[in-house]
Order: sequence, then structure tokens, then C-alpha cells
Amino acid sequence: MEEVPRLVLVGHPNVGKSTLFNALTGGKAKVGNYPGVTVSHKTGEFFTPHGKKAELVDLPGCLSLVSRAADEAVTRDVLLGGISGEKVPDLVVIVLDASALERHLPLALQVVELGFPSLVVLNKIDLAEKNGTRINHELLAEELGLPVVPLQADAGKGVLDLKQALRFPLPLPPHPAWHESGPVVKAQEELAKKLEDLGEPHPKRQAWMLLADKDYRSGGSELSQEAQAQAVSIADELSANGETAEDILEKARRDRVRDLSGLVVTHQSAEGADGLSFSDKLDGELLHPIRGWFYFLAIFFLVFWALFKWSGIPMDLIEGGFEALGGAVSGMLPPGLLNDLLVDGIIAGIGGVVVFLPQILFLFFFLGVLESTGYMARAAFLMDGVMSKVGLSGRSFLPLLSGYACAIPGVMAARSVPSAKERLLTILILPWMSCSARLPVYLLLIPLLVAGSLAQGLVLFGLYFLGTASAFIAALILRGKVGIAKDHQPSFLMEMPRYQKPDWGFIFRHLIDRAGSFLKKAGTVILALSIILWVLGAFPKAPSGEEQDQFNYSAMSRIGDVIEPVVKPLGWDHRLGTAMLASFAAREVFNSQVAISYAIEEGDDEEKTRSDIREEFRSSYSIATVLSLLVFYVFALQCLPTTAVVSREANSWKWAVVQLVGMSLFAYLAALITFQLVSLLT
Amino acid sequence: MKVIAHEIELDSTVSLNQAASGCDLQVELVEGADCNQLRDLGFCEQMRLRKLTNGRNLICSVCGSRLAISSHLAEQIQVRRVS
Repeated sequence: MEEVPRLVLVGHPNVGKSTLFNALTGGKAKVGNYPGVTVSHKTGEFFTPHGKKAELVDLPGCLSLVSRAADEAVTRDVLLGGISGEKVPDLVVIVLDASALERHLPLALQVVELGFPSLVVLNKIDLAEKNGTRINHELLAEELGLPVVPLQADAGKGVLDLKQALRFPLPLPPHPAWHESGPVVKAQEELAKKLEDLGEPHPKRQAWMLLADKDYRSGGSELSQEAQAQAVSIADELSANGETAEDILEKARRDRVRDLSGLVVTHQSAEGADGLSFSDKLDGELLHPIRGWFYFLAIFFLVFWALFKWSGIPMDLIEGGFEALGGAVSGMLPPGLLNDLLVDGIIAGIGGVVVFLPQILFLFFFLGVLESTGYMARAAFLMDGVMSKVGLSGRSFLPLLSGYACAIPGVMAARSVPSAKERLLTILILPWMSCSARLPVYLLLIPLLVAGSLAQGLVLFGLYFLGTASAFIAALILRGKVGIAKDHQPSFLMEMPRYQKPDWGFIFRHLIDRAGSFLKKAGTVILALSIILWVLGAFPKAPSGEEQDQFNYSAMSRIGDVIEPVVKPLGWDHRLGTAMLASFAAREVFNSQVAISYAIEEGDDEEKTRSDIREEFRSSYSIATVLSLLVFYVFALQCLPTTAVVSREANSWKWAVVQLVGMSLFAYLAALITFQLVSLLT
Repeated sequence: MKVIAHEIELDSTVSLNQAASGCDLQVELVEGADCNQLRDLGFCEQMRLRKLTNGRNLICSVCGSRLAISSHLAEQIQVRRVS
């Protein structure tokens, strides 16, 4: 069987690789992690106009193959065959930003230096033209010795030309003319020969990388110790003449980039009369030291207010749908166990969680809009000042912000933080960013405290603020423990994308993914837990046979009785205690458990609605109990998959266990103090 | 003579941190612990840029991109004003 050629996309972060990937593959992708690391990558397939099938891999964005962050190292290792089970690519598609070609060309030259058959894509060509930049792509192709395709991936323009250029047989590797002679080339040839003799794979590419990257030859590679020792010896010989191999390569590349830019790029200023673009002027407002914070707080408050204000109608529709379904099933089946299981267990359990889907989608919609317009990078810029006070840089803000959606991708996104100590600190505090699994619990409880969407939005904003502020205080305490000195000055270094119209395709694809993943969780984990919780509540059967005696006789009630002494100081009873225990599997189960326990306990035939549950809450619990519950859910790390990912990312079970136990104990203490204080005051 | 001319040229440089905002500048030298990282981002020798804002973190327009860096990183970039 003919082997399918493997093509990889390499480029800077935010250059449009994923958009190009979707344009080529039609968005059909398998998302996976590389073995041993949790940097995700997408793999898809497409056909060239000649009917040949090819595999396409979207690699993590990197500024250089001489890696400084953990996710950049993955791109380097894939190219060098350093990841077990991963085939070395047959062709590298180098994606460059045409509107900032001079900044992106060094990466292209590095790929060429590695000796890969390559093809250059000049993405965002429309933006370059709009900015008054003209690129002679034919001359660039001639100079580089490889095909160059200008395109606009977000509009699908030029994608057909790219497919035409990807014809088989694949182009031969171009010759890096800027390194034709000189000591480094000789050293590379000498080292490659030695690596070949030692039986190392891809000796020429490995030799280049060993000379170009000091960290790679000092233990950063998977090569044998002897191979690394040879590399160190040859590099030391080179640097004895005054300049290191890295410096010589870097300088030659820089000179070549300058020559190329002078040859192929012409600029005509398209900026305003004052020399400032629209983005520059907008940044003057949004990044203003005082007004910038006003906009920041206003934007995020509006997001939380809108969650309550706009999601009422779809939530009522979903709730009505589940009520109708419960009523229909109840009417169709004779009274009995099956009827109870379906209505009180499955429909009440899943309905209690799915009803919050609109609010979760609104949250992701707004976060998507902010990211797509370019505002998120500005938020990171503003937050850098605050974060530096606790030993972190603004680079940690984006992983922390991802934590508002889900802690797991947030922990994984922390790989983009270049400093290992800052990365560990980011991971440790990240679960205090209120993830979307906490949202259903907040949304169930907040209306018990205040009425009106404005006040409810404010309380929700306050809960997110509480988690975030506590995370920063924890970082301040933990920074010494992870080895960050008090006088450490974190480095902030980030590209601020242009402000642009939201990419609705990207936002809605993301929303569909999130809705799919939420419904999948509801249909699997929540369904299974709902059945287990119903069984625990419905068995063993009360001898009296009376429905009102059933819950008190059930296994769940007995578990609740065991746990009640522990949770009583928090103002909780056995029902809330068991709901809290069950939500260690998934936080949303708190709502299911409450819905199921009321349905069983009250012996109702029909599913309890949110308002019914709230009425029960109001009559059973004080404001102090509701606040204590909210505080517990803000602080507790009730997510075992997060603990597993933290242990893998931190490469230590110790930190993961310390985080789980520490956050659980802190949540308990904070809930205890809240209940006792509020009880005293009310 | 060449050496003297070079030294005089270097004398007229300031760190990016010290340069006034709104100025068009040219990078003369990138030197320090983070120099390679800065070069990867686009702050290479001979690159022209415009400093847009001052402050704890500053923003520069480099080759059509807006780049934000901490002021202590900007200390590692020597620039010369260009007309």
C-alpha cells in the first residue's frame, strides 16, 4: 500500500496556521497529544487536485526552532524525529505573515537550513496590501529556491493555488546559499559524519540543530551522550575563534533576511496623517493606565451581566422541554421503578445540568469575540503590572483566562510560559479561576441571594473576582516555594495583534465544539452519575413503602448521615454533604444531585424545576448556608482529571497532591468561616 | 578611523527604554541575557521601529506588528533615532 505523505504546518503563533488547516482539510481533524507531552496537535487529510491523498499536521506555533518555551520544543522535535511514533515530515509548509514578512523570514530560513523539502505560504496578503506593502513573491521564490504561494486563508483565497503547488513528487530541499562556506558549514559536515558513524538518525539535521542551539547540545536532545559530547567539543573549537556557532548562524541569517526584504518588499505608508493606525489610536484608549482599567472592568462586567440577561429565554425553553419530556415519559409508563429511574433519575439529573448550556455558550461566545478581535492580548498587557507583583508575567494571564473555561486546557496552555518556575506557579493557582463546570452551581445559587439580572451579574462577577484575587494571593505565598526570588522581575514579551472584526467562523466552530463536549459529558459522565445517585437514593426500599420515608431509609441518606458531622459546621445538611461528595467526580453533578434528592425525597412524580429547587432551598437553608456553599465551590478543586494533568505537566505527583489537598482544606475553612461569620451577623 | 566612527555612532545610541515615544528608531545593538529571544520576536540589529508607548511595558511597531516588551527587556536594545 502506498504511504500517505505527511505535511506539517510551521509558523509563528497567530499566523493563521489553524485557519489554513481548516481551509485545506475542511475542518475535519483529529485532535491528539504527542506521546509523553500534553501539547495538542491537529491531524487531518486532504486531496491534491491530482487526486493524491496527503496527511496534514498543524504544529504548535513557534518564533524560532531554537526553542525557549516547552511547546516550541515540540515543533523542533517533530521536525527532527525526536518524538517516538511520529514520522518525520515529507514536506514543511512554512506559513508566514505577509504583513510582517521581515519578522517571519528567519523561521523560514531555519527550516530551509534543516534541509526539508518546503513550501512558503504568504498568509494575510490582503492585510499586507492594505498596509501598503507589496511583495514580489515570484522573486522571493527564486531567491529561496522553493515555491511561494500568497493567500488569504480566512477568506479561502489562494487555497486552490496552494493545493496546485503541493503536487507530487514533492520539491527537493532548497540549498541554504547564505551558509555556502565558512567554519560552521565545515563543522556541521564534520559533526554530521560523526553522528552518522554513531548511528544517530538524521545526522545532517541533528548536526545543524546541535550547532544552532546551545541548550539542545547541552542535554536538550534525545541523542546519545557520546553524540552530545562530540557536538560540545566541535562547538567549543568553533567558539575558540571568538564567535559561537549560534552567533555565526544567527548573523548570516539576519543578513540574508535583510537582503531578501530589500529585494522583495516595497512599502508605501497606509497609516493616517499622524503616522498612527486605527489599532494604535485604539490602544491609546484601551491601554491607558487609568481609562484602560475602566474599559477592562466594564467589558468583563458586561459579559457576566449578559450571561444572566440574555440566556433566560433559551434556558426556559430547555427547562420546558425537559419538563414536557418528564411528563410524557411519566404518563407513558406505569408507576414503578423504571418510571422513577427515567423521570427522577435520568431526566431530572441530566436536565438539571443541560439547562445551563445557554449560559456556558454565552460565556464562550464572549470570550471568543474578545480573543478574535485582539482584545485578549491587551487584557494580558494590562494584567502584567498586577501579575508581576506576585512573581508572574502577563504571559501567564492567557492560560489563567483559559482556566475560566476549563482548567485542563489552561494547565496545558501554561506551556507557552517560557520560565519553568513561573509555569509551575501558574499551574498551581490556575484551578482557582472559576471554570465553566462551576457555573451551573453559581447560577443555581445566586438567585437565592439577590434578584434582578444586574445584581445577579454583579454577584457572579464578584465570585470570579474572589477566585482570581485569591489565586494571586496564593501565588504571592507560593512563589518562594517554587523558587521565584522576591526581587525576580518577570519578562513580558508579546505580540499585540491588530484589532479586527470577529472571525465568526472561528467563534461558532469553537461554540459547536464546546456544546458538543458539554452535551457529551451530560450524556456520559452526568448520565452515569445520575443513575448511581438515583439508585443510592431509591435503595434500599423503606419497609413502610411510603415515599416520604424512602429518602431517609436510602443508602444516600446513610452516607449523608456519616458525612453530616463534617459538613454541619458549614451550615450544610446530609443532602448538601452528599451533593458535595458526588461533585468531586464532576462539579455539575451538584445540581443533578440536588434535583434528584428533592425529586426522591418529596416523592414527586414530576421533575423539579430550578425555581422549585430554589423554593426548597429558601425554606430549608439560610443565606449563610448559600454563601458558604458558593465560597466552597469557588475554592475547592473538585476535578480529578485536572489533578492528573497537573501531575503530568509539573512532572510531579507531589505538587498535584499538595494542590488537591491544599485547595480542598482551604475551601472547607473558607466555607466554615463564611457560614459562622454570616450567621453571627444575620 | 573606522573604529572611531563606529564609537561615535554608538555614543549617539540610547536604550529603547530611554527613547521618547512617537519616535522612529533603528536598532543598533541587542545585547544581554534575553537578546536571542528579542531577536526572535523581531528586535534585530538594523530593524526600524516606532516606539508607540512608554511605561512599565512599552509597545513598539516593528515591521507592521505591534510588540509589547517589559521596560527591563527594552534596556537590552540600543537604538538610534532616524529621521
